[in-house]
Amino acid sequence: MSAKDFITEPAFNAKFRQGKAQEIISEVLKTKLTNVTYHPDNTSTWTREIADDIKGKLKEMGLERYKFVVQVVIGEQRGEGVKMGCRCFWDPNTDSYATAEFSNGSIFCVAAAYGIYLY
Amino acid sequence: MEDLQATEEAAFVAEDVNNIIKESIDSILLNATYTQQKVGQWTSQIVESCMKRTTALNKPFKYVVTCVIMQKNGAGLHTASSCYWDNATDGSRTVRWENKTMYCVTTVFGLAF
Repeated sequence: MSAKDFITEPAFNAKFRQGKAQEIISEVLKTKLTNVTYHPDNTSTWTREIADDIKGKLKEMGLERYKFVVQVVIGEQRGEGVKMGCRCFWDPNTDSYATAEFSNGSIFCVAAAYGIYLY
Repeated sequence: MEDLQATEEAAFVAEDVNNIIKESIDSILLNATYTQQKVGQWTSQIVESCMKRTTALNKPFKYVVTCVIMQKNGAGLHTASSCYWDNATDGSRTVRWENKTMYCVTTVFGLAF
């Protein structure tokens, strides 16, 4: 029974870091969406692939005891108005989120990743 | 030890949450027309209303609620989510709602702790 069994929050360097996560998300969006054009058939495949990619990279960050939720929204650019909002009921000491946007002439994309600690 | 028997209540019940989300959106957007100035206020109100009601269920869950409102313009919208969690206890629910001038997609993720 060591002291490690009784920790109730992650060590400072094992927390979900917003800056690092945001870099990861922007990177994935840039890699996958530069120079693409909206097409109703393949856009839904892209959203799924991007969401899975981001989740995979977050797992590689090696944060133990963290659960991840990644949400990706891709829409066609036609001059319409869009608003996306979120509210979270969690422990701000351990949980956090990161978002990134990407747009080009024919699509816009918003990705949000939430990291939730499991006590 | 009543806590140890709570495994049935400790799973995310999508049905209850479905109604909560639908009622929250209806109460705020039912006959509304898309207005640029009001959209921010609407998304905030919807997520806050969903949040209040899901937390009132008093379950040992953390919640993430997101809402996307888009004007109807003939454009397409795709959403996807990928989650790394415990399938036995965690879950999510997405509700797609529309009226004459806009679409609203609201998702509630519930994560047990």
